[in-house]
Amino acid sequence: MTNVTIDPLTRIEGHFRLSTEVNENGVITDAQSSGMLFRGIERILVNRDPRDAARITQRVCGVCPTAHAITSANALEDLFGIADQVPKDALVTRNIMQSLNMIDSHATHTYALWLPDLVNPAYRDVFATADNMGTMLWKELLHRFAPLSYRIDGISIPPGQTYVNAIKEKRRLHGSIALIAGKMPHQMSTIFGGVTYKPTVADIGKLSYYYYQLMDFFERYTLGMDHTTWLDNTYRASSPQRAVEFMIEHLQELTESSISSNDFSYSAGWGDTDLLVVLGSELIGEEILGLPVSFKLDRTGTYSDPANIGFLSYGAYYDVENGDGYDPLEFGKSSFLKAAFITGSLERKTFDHMKVTEEVSHSFYTGEGDLHPFDGDTEPVRNADEIDYHGDSQSKYTWMKAPRYDGVPCEVGPIARMIAMQEPLTTGLMNTFSDNGYSTVNTYIRMVARVQEMLILLERLIQWVTSDLDPSGRFSVPIDMSMAKDSQGVGLWEGARGALGHWIKTGSDSKVTKYQMVVPTTWNASPRDSNGIPGPIEQALIGTKVSAAENMLGIDNSNPIGILHTSRAYDPCIACAVHTIDLRQKDGKGERVFDIV
Amino acid sequence: MGELENTDFLSMDRRTFLKVVGAMGASTFLGLHRSEIVKALELSNTRVIWIHGAECTGCSESVLNGRDPDIFQAIQKLSVDVAYHEMLIQQQGIFVDGELASTSELNSEIMLEEAIEEGGYILVVEGAIANGPDGSGKYCMYGDHTFKELFSKAASNATFILAIGMCATYGGINSANSNIVDLTDFRGVAFLRRDPSKGMLTELGIDRPVINIAGCPANPDWVLLTLAAVILGKIDINDPDPILDEFKRPLVFFPEDVTLHWNCPRRGYYDIGQFDTEFSGDACLWKLGCKGPYTHSDCALRKWNGSVNMCTQAGSPCISCCEPGFFDNSTPFYKNAQSVAPSGGETDRSVTSNENNGAATTGSAIGLGATAGATIIGSAAYAARKIAKNNDDEKEMDQ
Repeated sequence: MTNVTIDPLTRIEGHFRLSTEVNENGVITDAQSSGMLFRGIERILVNRDPRDAARITQRVCGVCPTAHAITSANALEDLFGIADQVPKDALVTRNIMQSLNMIDSHATHTYALWLPDLVNPAYRDVFATADNMGTMLWKELLHRFAPLSYRIDGISIPPGQTYVNAIKEKRRLHGSIALIAGKMPHQMSTIFGGVTYKPTVADIGKLSYYYYQLMDFFERYTLGMDHTTWLDNTYRASSPQRAVEFMIEHLQELTESSISSNDFSYSAGWGDTDLLVVLGSELIGEEILGLPVSFKLDRTGTYSDPANIGFLSYGAYYDVENGDGYDPLEFGKSSFLKAAFITGSLERKTFDHMKVTEEVSHSFYTGEGDLHPFDGDTEPVRNADEIDYHGDSQSKYTWMKAPRYDGVPCEVGPIARMIAMQEPLTTGLMNTFSDNGYSTVNTYIRMVARVQEMLILLERLIQWVTSDLDPSGRFSVPIDMSMAKDSQGVGLWEGARGALGHWIKTGSDSKVTKYQMVVPTTWNASPRDSNGIPGPIEQALIGTKVSAAENMLGIDNSNPIGILHTSRAYDPCIACAVHTIDLRQKDGKGERVFDIV
Repeated sequence: MGELENTDFLSMDRRTFLKVVGAMGASTFLGLHRSEIVKALELSNTRVIWIHGAECTGCSESVLNGRDPDIFQAIQKLSVDVAYHEMLIQQQGIFVDGELASTSELNSEIMLEEAIEEGGYILVVEGAIANGPDGSGKYCMYGDHTFKELFSKAASNATFILAIGMCATYGGINSANSNIVDLTDFRGVAFLRRDPSKGMLTELGIDRPVINIAGCPANPDWVLLTLAAVILGKIDINDPDPILDEFKRPLVFFPEDVTLHWNCPRRGYYDIGQFDTEFSGDACLWKLGCKGPYTHSDCALRKWNGSVNMCTQAGSPCISCCEPGFFDNSTPFYKNAQSVAPSGGETDRSVTSNENNGAATTGSAIGLGATAGATIIGSAAYAARKIAKNNDDEKEMDQ
């Protein structure tokens, strides 16, 4: 048994450590996922003016600040009792900002953070087994996805074409959010009661222009085809089966014309998505399309016991066509992205936020029991000797808490949302895997779901911009601080990485007595709970083979690419996940006094 | 401006260079002189090690928004060698049975060790440095050691340190008031809030030249232009203080005697006494808590995200995110600034609050009061800065 530890896992946000045990067959048999930083941001919110929350909570994460701003605003609007009064055009504006941030985050993850793993030198050797075609494919991958400052065998590799272009698109996406939100990261517009800025007709024009530029990138590089054709035949397919058939037929055409020419370039019609869906999957690439080699990502990142996993989505995007306001208890029912809890056997259940709990038996906090965020109290260990990441799975090993829904660890993110909204391509591919003896959920489907969500959102975005936004509408409602006296609020929303919840309570002086955030990566990178059940990333790692393409060329513990693919596919964001602890103010004298023992 | 566009900036002395950059804005300047900058920098081979402590990655995200040059032009074409940046590199830390595995081509820990060993690099620090609990630094770990240890090693061998964003400069959100602020004990590189005696360099006894790029996040122009100026030798890294304010911010971006308020796009409304009392209006945001009159930055001229917008233009009161002591200096954000004290002692409490002037007062009456208030506020901030700085006349930059 060999211990293989990744620390730090780079190309993510924040400090993340994965410690694994690998057996003599190169299979991971145990895994611990650790967040390596404690900041205490929720604690900073206590005894402050609650209105500041939408600014302060964004400082948890510079990658998804808009999601924190909106979730916080949702919680504040519930707290102030004005959730149903927020004007429609403010909500449309928030939808636009959130969709831009989600597309930006997905594109960054896919291109700048995740795809560079496919140009690991181990794959040069794997692809070399497929002779000329393999060599051509390897060159094409390097040409597209090589990251910055990259060397193989001492030779400098220039950054990939789409890698560089994706960063430029990211800049454009940030600029387009800033256009209506002041600046990015850390946007200024989303506040309690609405937004601070009325987008003008000129802004709508600019946003539309940005949109067409973005679409140009996605069609030219990401898809390699017209996006409407793609979505008509996948997202809007008559059945999940039809969606998969369309994709396979399209790939068959591409493959047949390239097999003799060995040309897998953009000009031969190969979008980045085409390469990913063909080469990523053993089932689709090798078995169905007959290619000699693949990354076999559909063999990795699977869950072995459906009883120990669920999929959770809170829902996102206000239903602006059908009335105003955010309803904390009904949210996600009529939203574009749906709220749902889906069991490990893919049974769909109604979501109820009161079933969310967190506990700390394996986290560097003191305290006991599963507590709903309204009741959660935690306290960091204060003795430096207690902060030790080298213990086993029985010890405390992370700054992340263990959130559970109805007692079950949950995967959150694009795949949970695509299942919740019954997206045909995603569910169709899942059925295809399951029918062919593959695990229904795996690293491959996680990546495809993210790309598909990006494309679906783009289309929805232009509708919000050009049809739903009325510059002469209302954009905010006033509040009175006394409305926050002895109150509480819940904000539910979806960040790019998944279900994001903020819970707030205030005292008789209308100041914050408790603020609690349960964020996407805390769900995905959760440690074990008191029953010893591992979190989603830990479960997904266990059973994965450690080296490239399922140990195809033998076991190489010093290049454990299997760990990288699986963990990074969740798009971990550690600054969010280790945000902190919450407390209760004990006296009413305006002093910052907390119940720390 | 016209004649400056045609000036060969390579022959400019430092003072003129920085003045021109200040006058034109970094984007304009770099855009106009890009080919010359490329030519100049092709001759250099500057190594940059960029490390992340307690942060949100917002500053890296922001720097990726830079343009003319953008980050790729800066790195790729300008011969800047990014020896380490954990969001952009291929490698990660890999340990097999506790030992570092493979080589620097796959292992970021080896890559970083080798780069630090070689020395002679610019160290960019993003994020605060955990000192807690009890000076152990264990609230922030990094590849089997504390971030504090990594910072100590990296700072010792650096020729120069650029601290970017509020966390690395003054502690930022990590050092905002709470009753665990002493326990976590996060420090900026050379300051804790406004106090240089509590910076991590002082704590560790390391003496290195530092430039602070404030902001939450830092504006990409401020970062990339400062880097370019350092690389081009327009800033004397062994003695950068003449172009910095007392908080080690470049005066060219954070002018001592001018606040954001002076050039605010909504300034006209202030001068005629039109104040918004609800959000999503068009007028001055003073009554909604704007801290622009206390904020020494060029945001209102430079703006953000390629100059598309800025906070007050988007109807949001300035929250003074580049003044040392942010957040506590400017919270509550949405409360009139006269009842809080941004930037420590700079609030002039003799100014009567006009928060409750109410809608009943006529525009012209408010206008007169407000204009008087504006003058007093501006003067108070100005006077406080004047008192705070020494040898004002010897400063190279004054605007």
